[in-house]
Amino acid sequence: MSGNFWQSSHHQQWLLDKQDLIRERQHDLSILAEDEYQKIFIFFASVIQTLGEQLKLRQQVIATATVYFKRFYARNSLKTIDPLLLAPTCIFLASKVEEFGVISNSRLITTCQNVIKNKFSYAYTQEFPYRTNHILECEFYLLENLDCCLIVYQPYRPLLQLVQDLGHEEQLLTLAWRIVNDSLRTDVCLLYPPYQIAIGCLQIACVILQKDHKSWFAELNVDIEKIQEIARYIINLFELWKTYDEKKEIQGLLAKMPKPKAAPQR
Amino acid sequence: MENKLRRYEKIEFLGEGQFATVYKARDVETDTFVAVKKIKIGTRQEADDGINRTALREIKLLQELHHKNLIGLLDVFGHMSNVSLVFDFMDTDLEVIIKDNTIILTTGNIKAYILQTLQGLEYLHLNWILHRDLKPNNLLVNAAGVLKIGDFGLAKLYGSPNRINTHQVVTRWYRAPELLYGAKQYGTCIDMWAVGCILAELLLRVPLFPGESDLDQLTKIFSVFGNPTEETWPGVKQLSDYIEFKPLPCIPLKNIFTAAGNDLLDLIESMLVLNPIKRREASECLQLPFFSNKPAPTLGSKLPLPKNVRTIRDIEKPSLKRKILDAAEGGTLSKRLLF
Repeated sequence: MSGNFWQSSHHQQWLLDKQDLIRERQHDLSILAEDEYQKIFIFFASVIQTLGEQLKLRQQVIATATVYFKRFYARNSLKTIDPLLLAPTCIFLASKVEEFGVISNSRLITTCQNVIKNKFSYAYTQEFPYRTNHILECEFYLLENLDCCLIVYQPYRPLLQLVQDLGHEEQLLTLAWRIVNDSLRTDVCLLYPPYQIAIGCLQIACVILQKDHKSWFAELNVDIEKIQEIARYIINLFELWKTYDEKKEIQGLLAKMPKPKAAPQR
Repeated sequence: MENKLRRYEKIEFLGEGQFATVYKARDVETDTFVAVKKIKIGTRQEADDGINRTALREIKLLQELHHKNLIGLLDVFGHMSNVSLVFDFMDTDLEVIIKDNTIILTTGNIKAYILQTLQGLEYLHLNWILHRDLKPNNLLVNAAGVLKIGDFGLAKLYGSPNRINTHQVVTRWYRAPELLYGAKQYGTCIDMWAVGCILAELLLRVPLFPGESDLDQLTKIFSVFGNPTEETWPGVKQLSDYIEFKPLPCIPLKNIFTAAGNDLLDLIESMLVLNPIKRREASECLQLPFFSNKPAPTLGSKLPLPKNVRTIRDIEKPSLKRKILDAAEGGTLSKRLLF
């Protein structure tokens, strides 16, 4: 994404404070434990990723949709809108904003039905309940809650530049890229600017591949503490994944999740 | 939504375009005038497409852009596919000013308008955004003489060198020759050509190249600049819609703009160059002697405006009194129209 990040709405309005985030989540965290809350967001990030892949969208569009999703719930309780409706709505809006191909609303609904039935039957026993008009109604609500800030900067481009500067290493780039994808399952995209996230992910990739680039990192003019915080979020995610069996737990978590009062009408 | 309908009181209908209807309204919260652009919902298929793509493009870009010479997006409201955008209210535009025979445009006036256009455009291009639809009608002017570039419905982020864009952009009379030849990779130079045409129109008071078809458009352009050759425009023959014209002679710009000084002719020649890569950027144009030479650009408050702009302001003064009277009588609900 081009443009000027420092003057962007992303930098000026949407890098949130950790304390604010905790305060906004108070209601949901009175019902769900912190790790349960995170597991629900990990699940829906996978739903968005799978939907995006089925629709053959670029990773950029998928990442933007995921950030929309997280920004919405950074300000709203899970009970305001069923995340199963918000997830495809985020995809719908992001695909239009990024201007990469048209996905018709009917194709989106069909894809949702197939994906829920074929890939997430361990979470949902019933078929996908929403229709075009639900998505349309939800879209405007999403736009309002994003304060009309639609351009999202992602860590992918800074990552490419950093790896190039390191003396392009294909293996390192591939791994760091995947870690950036994983970072969408944490709160880092709400808290840190994308260039810092890119550096954090790159650092983890270097450790995993046992590449010693200490002197290169030392020369970067960045707040190392922030990079360590980002790395901590991502390592915590990896730790959680070691013991977490989504297939077993997710139905219980979705049942426990705060829900909108009225169920959608078929 | 309900609150927003109450917040903006419709005053009058301003105009209608292909995608939207525009109203003048009063923002009750700030007691200022605003322009409300209500996006039309056409077919069922368009309604199913949700928030209109053109509107979304304006929202996403204007939310990131803040410059005194770009129109400000103040608010967005609506429901489902029904979207309204709230903009700064602008009293008139350059098309109206150019066509108004009672207005005399001195060099100082023209300098003020083009200076503001280039400053807005410089900011836009620095932010990697192409406007792609510059024309007098989209250069809005308020009663204080401030010019703002409006209508970002075709604007686009650029910078990916391999990205294919449509060449069906820009209203024909302001469309650069490379677009007419079907170029799908282009840059800021297409906006610069349009500004060149607008500057010419400020001087001539009629469009410089009022082509009746795409082919006629090229004919009109080449009848002034001569037809391009591989020497003057390397690569021109590779463009997908290239057509060979029979050799045409060049007309010196001095013969067309007889009243223009050399510094002004230099500016025109910087923007109206057939070869896109030879056209100067907005930042470079702003450095040209024309802008530092005398006469100085006319101050905003002294810029000539159509008569009705000033009279509108006079008429509107007593409306405050009317508002108070109405309030005393117990509400103005009947005047509150739905957008």
